[in-house]
Amino acid sequence: MTLMRRGTIGIAVGLLLLLGGECPGAQAQGGPPIKVGFSSAMTGPSAITGEGVKWAAQMLADEYNAKGGIMGRKIEVYFGDNAGTPGEAVSAVRRLVDVDKVDVIVGQTHSGACLGALPVVKELQVPMVIEACSNPKIRDLIGKNGNEWAFRVNPDDVMLASQFAKYMSQSTKTVSIFAQNDDFGRGAAAAYDAAFKKYGIKLVSTEFFDRGQADYRPILTRMKRANPEAVLLVMLASEGSVFMRQFREVGLTQKLYARGSMATVEFLHQVRDTHGIADGLVEATYWTPALDPAWEKQWLERWKVPVRVHGSLAAIAFRYALAPAIEQAIKKTGRADRKAIRDALETVDVPDTPVGRIRFDDTHQAFINMLLVEIKGGQLRILEKIAMQP
Amino acid sequence: MSDLLEQLVHGLTLGSLYAMVATGLALMFGVVRLVNFAHGEFYMLGGYAFWYAYAELGLPYPVAGLAAAAAMGVFGLAYERAVIRTILARTWHVQLIATLATSITLTNLAIIVFGTQPKEVPTTLSSAIADIGGVRMAWQRPLVLAAAVIIFAGLEWFVTRAKLGKAMRAMSQNREACAVVGVDVQHVALATFGISAALAGGAAALVSPLFNIFPDVGALLTLKAFAAVIVGGFGYVKGAIAAAFLIGLAESLAAGYISYAYKDAIAFVVMVLVLLVRPQGLFGRRIGI
Amino acid sequence: MRALRWAIAAALLIAVPWIVAAAVPGQQRYVLHVLIFTVLYGALALSYDLVVGHVGSLSLAHPAFFGIGAYTAALFATEARWPFAAALAAGIAMAGLVALVMGVPMFRLTEHSFAMGTLGFALVTQIVATNWVDFTRGPLCVTGIPKPQLGSFRIATLPAFYWLGLATVGLVGLLYHGLTTFRLGRAFHAVRDNEMLASAASIDPLKYRMIAFVIGGAVAGGVGTLYVSYVGVLCPGELAVSLSVNLLVMLFLGGVGSLRGVLVGAAAFTALPEILRMAPTWRMVIYGLLLLIIVIRAPDGLEGVIRRRSARWRRPSSSGA
Repeated sequence: MTLMRRGTIGIAVGLLLLLGGECPGAQAQGGPPIKVGFSSAMTGPSAITGEGVKWAAQMLADEYNAKGGIMGRKIEVYFGDNAGTPGEAVSAVRRLVDVDKVDVIVGQTHSGACLGALPVVKELQVPMVIEACSNPKIRDLIGKNGNEWAFRVNPDDVMLASQFAKYMSQSTKTVSIFAQNDDFGRGAAAAYDAAFKKYGIKLVSTEFFDRGQADYRPILTRMKRANPEAVLLVMLASEGSVFMRQFREVGLTQKLYARGSMATVEFLHQVRDTHGIADGLVEATYWTPALDPAWEKQWLERWKVPVRVHGSLAAIAFRYALAPAIEQAIKKTGRADRKAIRDALETVDVPDTPVGRIRFDDTHQAFINMLLVEIKGGQLRILEKIAMQP
Repeated sequence: MSDLLEQLVHGLTLGSLYAMVATGLALMFGVVRLVNFAHGEFYMLGGYAFWYAYAELGLPYPVAGLAAAAAMGVFGLAYERAVIRTILARTWHVQLIATLATSITLTNLAIIVFGTQPKEVPTTLSSAIADIGGVRMAWQRPLVLAAAVIIFAGLEWFVTRAKLGKAMRAMSQNREACAVVGVDVQHVALATFGISAALAGGAAALVSPLFNIFPDVGALLTLKAFAAVIVGGFGYVKGAIAAAFLIGLAESLAAGYISYAYKDAIAFVVMVLVLLVRPQGLFGRRIGI
Repeated sequence: MRALRWAIAAALLIAVPWIVAAAVPGQQRYVLHVLIFTVLYGALALSYDLVVGHVGSLSLAHPAFFGIGAYTAALFATEARWPFAAALAAGIAMAGLVALVMGVPMFRLTEHSFAMGTLGFALVTQIVATNWVDFTRGPLCVTGIPKPQLGSFRIATLPAFYWLGLATVGLVGLLYHGLTTFRLGRAFHAVRDNEMLASAASIDPLKYRMIAFVIGGAVAGGVGTLYVSYVGVLCPGELAVSLSVNLLVMLFLGGVGSLRGVLVGAAAFTALPEILRMAPTWRMVIYGLLLLIIVIRAPDGLEGVIRRRSARWRRPSSSGA
């Protein structure tokens, strides 16, 4: 064979391998891979949340692909960085859709980014499953309220506050709120302000702190002065551990309630040197490792750190809402394109997942269970599981 | 009353932190007329060095603290050779932007190396609670204040008695005369950076047990330390220290009595007010450190 | 000849949406979106260069003016239902007004103090935007900002926004050109290059600095308005100090003080994430190193490199023609 011939064949073989390699799973029986875009804050002040989402996505892809994918179709994950802001969220979504050609997006973790992304997913006609955005305004904008392409799995505090306030009212008459100064904290503070009135709890004071500013003493002194019976903390584990140390340093002994990620293994790991620092704290949440110990164990093995809450939230959205919807779409229509997934999400109904029943109402909101989790003796304990109603 | 004492305790902790960081900045400006925008990153890296020495290697606290300061001292020397030397003769625009660029690089490298999860380094003293004058505080807080005082006293001795220190002071007063007299100007500049960085590292070892360490911790700290340097009179170390305590106390009192949410604005409001009324700083235009 | 070149360039720029649709049909929406950000950034960078490049004041307050314009317009549009043109005017006016009020005390500060003072102002502005929740909605963001409506034209599609942005950067470019040439430009440069000499020649540094600062701030406010009209949502995070860093990279990468340089810098910076397809944190490291190297080795940026090359080209050969 001449050199030319060999060269040409070589190039042809190389191209084939390249193209073949370009589509992992194209050889699988089911069909082309399903592309899922995970969009979160990969940079910026909230980069720690994006990291959790990214790690979870990688674990989920491996988990599902090890089983052969969904209905034989592999999962390919792509990442978008919204930096926590609406402008960047627009860029991230457009890129995921037009360049990476994803079939569905899971995101955006932060409410500003969610709000920026909503009109774009509507324009581009790609389904988005919101996993953690907590701004109550979102419910007024999705589903029948104007955006058929967006769905939200997580509840916001307007939905949780009533039950949690009712629980608190059984043993507390006066409360101070201490919340992080972002959409989550502000939204929660407003929701509990209203809910407390309903259950006869006096809101003594509300204070906000910027995440990343670790000196809480001035606020703790004010709290000492206001002297409420209990404190409602709206914060994540990374700030919570520093806060609790200073809380005990100042000598406060109030009953502790929380929203965020205080009753978590992450928090317990950060305070492992002072057992019992937050004993008795009760948090209203919708996820705790006891619901899926295998996930927690796997996370620890793979990433060498305790499981991160934003990773778990992304996993809930994918595992219990999106994956069943994709399966349903393929079963019913044989396709898992954007419209098929959207239609499936609208009708998916999984009655008993570890987080409760997954079904989106006409405002595209799911109603997963609320959990009351307590820290006792350095361990987490589920006190109550409350099914939420539309 | 105990309320006020509480806030004062906190203000003194903050003030000590700001003062130690501001001293380094004031030294650098005083001796080589350079504003180091990456100074907060010295604190941040010092914090990680301390975490590594204390939490990972398990060294006893004083050893770990000194190791962190020493490590940052070495880093400061390297920083001077690598970055500062090339920009010493340039305009302040170039210097500001170059050090700002370094700050961005260091912060993001820290994210890559150490991750976004903040590191907590509780020590025995930060967990042991004292009750002094009716105010509960970790023993670490009096330690911070005491250590700061000792460090400042040591620095004063250094610039008045030690040869290198006297050279630093001389350079801050009249650089050309120093060169004429035979002072090794480059050597002194190098030493200044090493000392400033070590100060920041030491501050991190003292203060981070009370708070935590994360890649972005230096940003706001740089700015508040700058505010102190400006208010104290650019390049005047004692002025910077006094201003730093003033800002720390003002911030603490404002947070406690006015509004916690706006507390970070306090340092800048103080700075801008002082600058408008007395642009040369609270203590007037002084020559030298 | 030059007019023809400008006309061709303008025609090409206007034809971009069709060119993009033909070149990358599957990705045209994304590319147009990036171009919209690019032209807006270009206008913003030009407004910043007026202050930094032409009067030599290293202000770090620009994010505040961008944000003040954005919030003013957003709130007037959503709360008071003002039409776009009015909201835009309000955004520009408010930003310019604040620049006027802040500029006078700020310019009493010199050098580093000025930089720190403007930085402090930017920080305080962000703190206020975040915490004055009753007014600005704080972290819960201003939502539902309407798309621009100019008479009977509703700017709602990507090409329409691109043309609006293109017109903006064109106008700002013309303004920039007008301000930085002729006598006014020479006065700016006199103040920048040698303040003492300038005031000796009865060119009042404060007056010219204020002119650049106020116009730069007002334009930034206008760009802020357009930005929020495009995104539809405004959160306090958009006023972050990191915007100053991005602008500085643009200016120094492209060439401080030069129209073409700044525009090239803005385009290059916005295109960088597409070229540097790596983890975002690594990209930030690259930005930092890039800025460091450029400001030390090539402070004139790409523009300086181009000028030096073409000067070498045009130099007559020693052997004669």
